[in-house]
Amino acid sequence: MGKTIVIQPVTRIEGHAKITIQLDDTGNVNLARVNVIELRGFERFCMGRPVEDMPRITPRICGVCPWSHHLAAAKACDAVFGVTPPPAGAKLRELCNSIAYMEEHILHFYFLAGADFLLGPDADYSVRNVIGVLGAAPEVARRVVRVRHMCAKMLEILAGKSIHPQAAVPGGFSKPLAKDERDELRKMADEALELAKFSIAFAKESVFPKYLDVVKSLGVITSGFIGTVKENGALNLYDGKLRLMASDGSFDDFPYDRYTEFIGEHIEPWSYLKFPYAKKRGGFSLEDNAPSLYRANTLARINVCDFIDTPLAQAELEEFRRKFGRPAQLTLLYHWARLIELLYNAENAIRLLDDPDITSLETRVKVTPRAARGVGCTEAPRGTLIHDYETDADGMLTNMNLIVGTTHNNAPINLSVTQAAKSLIHDGKYDQGVLNTVEMAIRAYDPCLSCATHRLDGKMSVKLDIFDAQGSLIDSLAN
Amino acid sequence: MPAMEEDVVPDFCRKPVLILGIGNVFFGDDGFGCALVEYLETHFEVPGGVCLQDAGTGVRLLLFTLCLSQVRPRRLLIVDAVDVGREPGEWFELDPADIPVVKLDDFSMHQLPTSNMLRELQQQTGVEVRVLACQTGPLPAEVCPGLSEPVERAVPEAARWVAREYFGGAGTEPDRSRDRKGAFAEPRA
Repeated sequence: MGKTIVIQPVTRIEGHAKITIQLDDTGNVNLARVNVIELRGFERFCMGRPVEDMPRITPRICGVCPWSHHLAAAKACDAVFGVTPPPAGAKLRELCNSIAYMEEHILHFYFLAGADFLLGPDADYSVRNVIGVLGAAPEVARRVVRVRHMCAKMLEILAGKSIHPQAAVPGGFSKPLAKDERDELRKMADEALELAKFSIAFAKESVFPKYLDVVKSLGVITSGFIGTVKENGALNLYDGKLRLMASDGSFDDFPYDRYTEFIGEHIEPWSYLKFPYAKKRGGFSLEDNAPSLYRANTLARINVCDFIDTPLAQAELEEFRRKFGRPAQLTLLYHWARLIELLYNAENAIRLLDDPDITSLETRVKVTPRAARGVGCTEAPRGTLIHDYETDADGMLTNMNLIVGTTHNNAPINLSVTQAAKSLIHDGKYDQGVLNTVEMAIRAYDPCLSCATHRLDGKMSVKLDIFDAQGSLIDSLAN
Repeated sequence: MPAMEEDVVPDFCRKPVLILGIGNVFFGDDGFGCALVEYLETHFEVPGGVCLQDAGTGVRLLLFTLCLSQVRPRRLLIVDAVDVGREPGEWFELDPADIPVVKLDDFSMHQLPTSNMLRELQQQTGVEVRVLACQTGPLPAEVCPGLSEPVERAVPEAARWVAREYFGGAGTEPDRSRDRKGAFAEPRA
């Protein structure tokens, strides 16, 4: 009799993702589906509002990567108004982006997915918490905490606050950076760079070697990739052009505002989230190695760039490519790529702080409403983030489309979960460790699944229901 | 490791009192915590030793940092919306220990419940953690900002309680009222 296993990490009122694993009559995995419930009705809510409100409204979509929405919205507004921010305005935005990235990547590596490695996927749930990690690796944790403090402090200095930022405005940045503030930030950036260097060395020596077999086998799929590069092909996380790479390494480059020519958006009846696909490489398919399948996020960006224009990160990229080729396909390499990006952002922050433009008083230009379309794009930690706005002559929104980072990875996440489940569940046998490992395949993508309502009591977390072929519940497990 | 100098510690860790309003202003009464913080900011003199923040949907990043920090506030107040079967608009104190135990693994910022970190802070760090909760009405399934009438009425009452408990008894309430909904008000015609 076929069974269906449902892993349901639901912690907020709108729910997040429900993982359904359907077994066949022999107890092996038939298919797996990750169903994500996204923020509904946001586009409709925005219609008729002044477009300049978007940089302060959209950070509320997600409390985890508000800076990405903030900056993508500001860039879309620049395009709508037809203006280019002065150098200081653009560089201050990029600096905030790099600092937010460092805060995010440190957190993710050491305390989210990194904890899978530090404690192991089979670790008891009673120790799988924030303070449990401190206990497991206290020396490393203390070092990390200091730099996380500094990143939050740096954003406070630059933008007033790190949560729900409002500092980027259409046409630039609202507040110039004073020279004494720059000097204070520069010292902190130096320390962040030291941690970034330590992190990748630590991971290469003490973490990745232990899990190389897992890296080579868990959630492995073959796909293309998307990311942002500068005109010369260098990695960039704030601005440039989009590059959509096929699994054979060939690619198309295009400006943001032509994304609809290259990216299609498919809808599946069992998922609330859209499935973007590479339009010029055939129709949508949820099959491994389908030509239209692509992934976003850290590994994608590291794959699509020709080089990195900061020396330490470039050296790491060269070593990474010697080991894994280009494009690298192993899903758990997202973690390795994340650490290369951490290093790049630390170096980039120092470069920007050393740039004389950064303390210029000319941080913004005046904007005037007009009827226009504007597309803003940044690389959010979780993938390429596209904000596409249209306005009337008074600057009121008449149309908008958002593609968030996790959406690009919707099909790949489904494929990785299927692959992980198939390799770990045999003859109907499974246990909590196996199911945690399936979740681990998802965490490699660092998905943003639940930018919806928040509530304290969080409902339930991971729930596993087993159904028979007729849909009757025959077993239910929860942690 | 270098010492944790005060200058690199963000305000929300450094000040002795931290008050965080949390929730999503896009979903009706879920925005209670944010509305209350804005009311406090606009109607009261906030003492220098108090860090008052509208943490919105980003509270977990702040709590995560607090859990790991060596420098923490002595008192933490969380203001949030809950559904525990009371009358909409009813506000009350909730012990973090009474929040249903739902999940103990904390390895996704998008999935971990805030309640876990509050318990960890309370039980393992000595921070005094209190929760001011307001019972919501039905929450909208799609984006729909704005509080229901009963929850809207609860905002000034609850704000006065917070000022009494955390602002050193001053609780001064100058008449500086303004439109609390700000950017989330109805679009202009």
